[in-house]
Amino acid sequence: MSESKRGGIFYGWYIVAALFFASFLAIGSRQGFGVFVKTWEEEWGVTTAAISVAAAIGWLANGFSQPLVGYLTDKYGGRPVLVISLAVMAVATIAVATVSNVFGLIILYGFVISFASGGISPATSGVVIARWFDRKRGTAMSVLIAGGSVGGLVVVPFLSFVLVEFSWQTAWIIVGVLALGLGIPLLLLVVRSRPQDLGLNIDGDASPVEGSDDQQITVQPVGQKFVERWQEALESKPIWQLSFAYFVCGITTASISVHYVRWAVSEDISTGTAALAFGVLSGINAGGVLVVGWLSDKFQRKKLLGAVYLVRGVAFLSLIFLPGASALWAFAVIGGMSWLATVPLTASLTADVYGVRNLGTLFGLANMSHQIGGATAVMLFGWAFTQLGSYDLAFGVGAATLLAAGLVSLSIREKQLSVRYAPVVPEGASTDTEG
Amino acid sequence: MPNPFDILLHHSEPIDPTLWEWIEDKIHDVLGIDSAVAILILGLLMIVFPLVVLVLAVRKQRRPE
Repeated sequence: MSESKRGGIFYGWYIVAALFFASFLAIGSRQGFGVFVKTWEEEWGVTTAAISVAAAIGWLANGFSQPLVGYLTDKYGGRPVLVISLAVMAVATIAVATVSNVFGLIILYGFVISFASGGISPATSGVVIARWFDRKRGTAMSVLIAGGSVGGLVVVPFLSFVLVEFSWQTAWIIVGVLALGLGIPLLLLVVRSRPQDLGLNIDGDASPVEGSDDQQITVQPVGQKFVERWQEALESKPIWQLSFAYFVCGITTASISVHYVRWAVSEDISTGTAALAFGVLSGINAGGVLVVGWLSDKFQRKKLLGAVYLVRGVAFLSLIFLPGASALWAFAVIGGMSWLATVPLTASLTADVYGVRNLGTLFGLANMSHQIGGATAVMLFGWAFTQLGSYDLAFGVGAATLLAAGLVSLSIREKQLSVRYAPVVPEGASTDTEG
Repeated sequence: MPNPFDILLHHSEPIDPTLWEWIEDKIHDVLGIDSAVAILILGLLMIVFPLVVLVLAVRKQRRPE
């Protein structure tokens, strides 16, 4: 009988809450970096461009760390990777308070913090969620992803107020101490890599089983493409389809993040109005990701994923064909609905097709493609605007890639390959397949 | 060349400082609260949430339904 049906909340939801907080701290503090730029410029006598080097390195370090931390998660479980990553990030965050030049910032923020924060990304926490949830995997993933959005909304203002009231050093120390004093105990005491670690089963379906993990007997269906080694997945189509679409996600989100306000100014819209529209977009995305995650547990995930990319494509087209202010708000509303929704869908679909044994590595690779797509697009969109004096071509390319991503997502053979629709009972009736 | 700081609010990239300055002004205009009060409210939120989760989860571990 399901644990929840017996009146209690399934323990997996406590894990979601703990990971929500870890994600909240990690992403919130990384986004908070921008709050300190002007202070550092004045205090250290450097330019924004010089400090930008740390941010740029951090962006790439975070992207490239994800397949590695994902692999470590697959090998050792999510809990140790999360704890070590948050501990390293916390200590480095406190150490930033001692920095007095850009070089120190590059080392601590660009490399250490950004790399470690990859260990608190969906490539690790998503794996833990996938091992605890099956039927409500999309919902649980979406709550986790929303944690990052909420982190930005809470931690960034908090850091800013601490900066005003005290100093930038105090702000970094507080975040580091919060991570060490609350984040680490929360992960250590609450998070378990697998439900079997607490004598439970996925979704809380079965009663706790006495005895060690290895003795536990459960019959978990597998999918046709469930793989023992992550390299085997690369020989099949879905991982390439998902990674291509996620690459496009990187192209279209990073480029808009950078160029949205600049485009608005080029259309004679004030920076304040553009910023407000982007704020609306961000607010809608938090709601959008929760709704899409919930829906994905009821319908085929590929259909929602395809729809998300196509809706975002419509938002890009609105930037080309609608007049300035109408385009601004149309994009904020339509684009906002699709902004983060790709993350839980891509992670859940990867788990449904390939199983959770190698999910960390596989989703880490997809995340890396996302970051590479974003970095490339940011530069190319800027180059196009400089050359042509208009964003129309760049937005047109964005819409075309989104159309392709939507069609590719819809072409995934989910009904044939996902364990949700085509479960196969493993031969020999088997032991736990969650790895 | 675009400034990498401008990449914001998707996954974990840093927030644009210019944008943040504008948002900060708006927060002050709308809420009109002192920085110290804001620190207290947001700080309490960040401390209470994990503590509540911790207590409930440990209770759950000790007394499974």
